Amino acid sequence: MLEGLLVDLVPYNKRFLDLEHIWRNNDSAFWSSGGDRYIVSRATIQRKAEEWAEEAERQGPARSVMFGVQTKDGIPIGFFALNWLLLHSRLAMLGARIGDPTYWGGGYGTDALLLLVDYAFDWLDMRKVWLGTTSTNARVMRQMEKVGFRLEIRERQQAWQDGTWADGLIYGLLRDEWPGRDAVIERIGLRARDGGDVR
Amino acid sequence: MIEGTLVDLVPFEDDFATHLESWMNEEAWFRMNLWDRREPHPEDAVKKYIESMEKKENAALIGFQTKSGDPIGGLIYDHEWSRVRKVEISFFAGDTRYEGTDEVLDGLLMLVRYCFETRNMHRLDAVALAFDEAKIDALRRAGFVHEGTLRQHIRWEGDYVDVEAFGLLEDEWPGYAAKIETLDLQPSDLEPKPKPEKKPEDEKKLAS
Repeated sequence: MLEGLLVDLVPYNKRFLDLEHIWRNNDSAFWSSGGDRYIVSRATIQRKAEEWAEEAERQGPARSVMFGVQTKDGIPIGFFALNWLLLHSRLAMLGARIGDPTYWGGGYGTDALLLLVDYAFDWLDMRKVWLGTTSTNARVMRQMEKVGFRLEIRERQQAWQDGTWADGLIYGLLRDEWPGRDAVIERIGLRARDGGDVR
Repeated sequence: MIEGTLVDLVPFEDDFATHLESWMNEEAWFRMNLWDRREPHPEDAVKKYIESMEKKENAALIGFQTKSGDPIGGLIYDHEWSRVRKVEISFFAGDTRYEGTDEVLDGLLMLVRYCFETRNMHRLDAVALAFDEAKIDALRRAGFVHEGTLRQHIRWEGDYVDVEAFGLLEDEWPGYAAKIETLDLQPSDLEPKPKPEKKPEDEKKLAS
């Protein structure tokens, strides 16, 4: 377990999978997919999860690492993952979704991100982490700036969202630009909450 | 076959498949696949790669050759995303004598034409290692717009190198015929290379 201030990163297990039916059919899937709106059944989610598990087993742990994100009270709220590790370039692509919108904008995703970046640099010895979002995702753009990621590519009209084009944004963070989790927590003023979670 | 100005597009088979056994172990291939390590590709890996590209519905490996039928290299589109009408494109000159020539540029233009005018794509993505000047020059001449730099992204010969990212939108593409008119493409007039040697099992297959 990776312990944060507002969340912990834990093994992604059935507790999380059971909530995917809600998460994949709500707005969180729209944002994490860059504009898709899924209408997806429990059976499909189960089948995809099995396919994903088989693929992960075939490729081994060197290829990707997935965590469930839960509040300090143990409530599952989403996942954070290193979706694609390119070991010889020490490059890690991040992917994430806070599936429960109640927890958007409260620092939960940022706390999870700091834990994952720290894990990638200090445990997996990655040299760069990167991720993609879209120009309509103001929350993630603010988060990137706050945490210290740099915008590296603006892919024009890369995403189709509710009938209009949006740009794709690729952000990167190099290890020598990362002052460490504690320093970032201090700088952005992230604090644990007294009396548990917002809900 | 789809006919271009200096090159034609053909199925990636026969001599192309034989050439690929060496091409996949050479510099141009590794440069195109910037994600790749320089692991050796034995013959069966090459065959598997061709088969896997044949099977994919959202990707293709296409051969391009001179007007006299001399194989130059490969054109690839991959990860075609139908909802967004977007596809990643790449290309390589397996016969390195053609690197930086108008034949390769015409191959790229033909690939762009195919993606926009046949497959109805909206956006093409392309990347190049920052030091790959010939590739970047071809992308710019084809009309691709530089959209950013992935900093220190790829391990390359003991260093971490940048990757340049490009995009081209359908409304920026004037059409193949109009584009050709602006470019004055010139053939290199290189001598055709000898045909690759057939292995005994290939000869047997041909005979049967």
